[in-house]
Amino acid sequence: MSAVAPAAPLPAAPKPGPVVGPGGELPVVTNDVTFVEIETLRSREFLPAAKEALSAMLKEQGESKLIRPVFNWAGRNSLFPLHWGLACCAIEFAAAFGARWDAERFGVVPRSSPRQCDLLIVNGTVTWKVAHKLIALYEQMPEPKWVIAMGNCATGGGPFRTAYSVVPGVDKLVPVDVYIAGCPPRPEALLDGILRLEALIRERGE
Amino acid sequence: MESNPEDIRAQLTAAGAVGVLAVEPFDGAAARVKFAPESAAALFQVFRDALGFTHLSTVGGIDWVTRYEVFYLLWSDATKRYVILSADLDAKTPHIETASPTWPSANWHEREAWELVGIHFDHHPDLRHLLMPDGYQFHPLQRAFKLHEPEELEVKVRHV
Repeated sequence: MSAVAPAAPLPAAPKPGPVVGPGGELPVVTNDVTFVEIETLRSREFLPAAKEALSAMLKEQGESKLIRPVFNWAGRNSLFPLHWGLACCAIEFAAAFGARWDAERFGVVPRSSPRQCDLLIVNGTVTWKVAHKLIALYEQMPEPKWVIAMGNCATGGGPFRTAYSVVPGVDKLVPVDVYIAGCPPRPEALLDGILRLEALIRERGE
Repeated sequence: MESNPEDIRAQLTAAGAVGVLAVEPFDGAAARVKFAPESAAALFQVFRDALGFTHLSTVGGIDWVTRYEVFYLLWSDATKRYVILSADLDAKTPHIETASPTWPSANWHEREAWELVGIHFDHHPDLRHLLMPDGYQFHPLQRAFKLHEPEELEVKVRHV
């Protein structure tokens, strides 16, 4: 076998000049760094040039325009609720993830650890005894995170609003993004609440 | 097996029990024994050891406004019968000796009765809140307890 031939030298960089398209000469964009200059890519190796261009873009535009939309899109389409049941609404919660309603088609997958979750669905009556555990679970979830108050009890205490042991609304403990009415709400209502939360996340651009 | 108030009264007399005020018939149980709260500790021992009521099913408290009542539901596995112990307590400072050394199951029941009705059990090994968070300042099953508007009910939620 013959020795490996030495790498062919890179072709000489073409002379920079105006790019001519089918319709004539294209305008040369000079000030907008979001466009990678084609001449730069032609004249040098791709990866260093792309790296340089990307870091220049990041420096100019920051995370807000480039990274955030990607995370927002990915986050709102893969909400992971905490697999945590408090009361009878948890039955509807379970039914929503069963075969008939199949909430996983919206990318909603319940996880058993708050460290893996970004959505807390409070599905049931919150008593003062469990309140600090709810706060602890919420604080263990990584940012960004959202809360859905499911059912009348979590929304405002429900029929136990003036009881001696019940928190009158979980928004006294954690910030709530979406409230779902019902006693208990049907699985369709939970799915609607999740889709509304997705629209809310898109609107806020979190 | 005889299970009527006379039988219980005879057994109590034979065991030399003190502090028994009345032995009444009670539906579903052999008898209801009213006793003076001062003689509680000795009477618990008599019921467990001499009469064979080895199991304490429940402890409860009732607020009758002018007095408090504490009751104990005992079960005898040997003779298959219930008996109810009942004592009237002072309305100002209701307290009675704990039954925990005699029946360990009294521990949580007495915690619940203390927390909800406000009856204090002397020498209880672990008289903490059971159903309500620590620092809860009400006894909600007392008649004097008023239902709060949600804004009035300030419960300090402790973060742990």
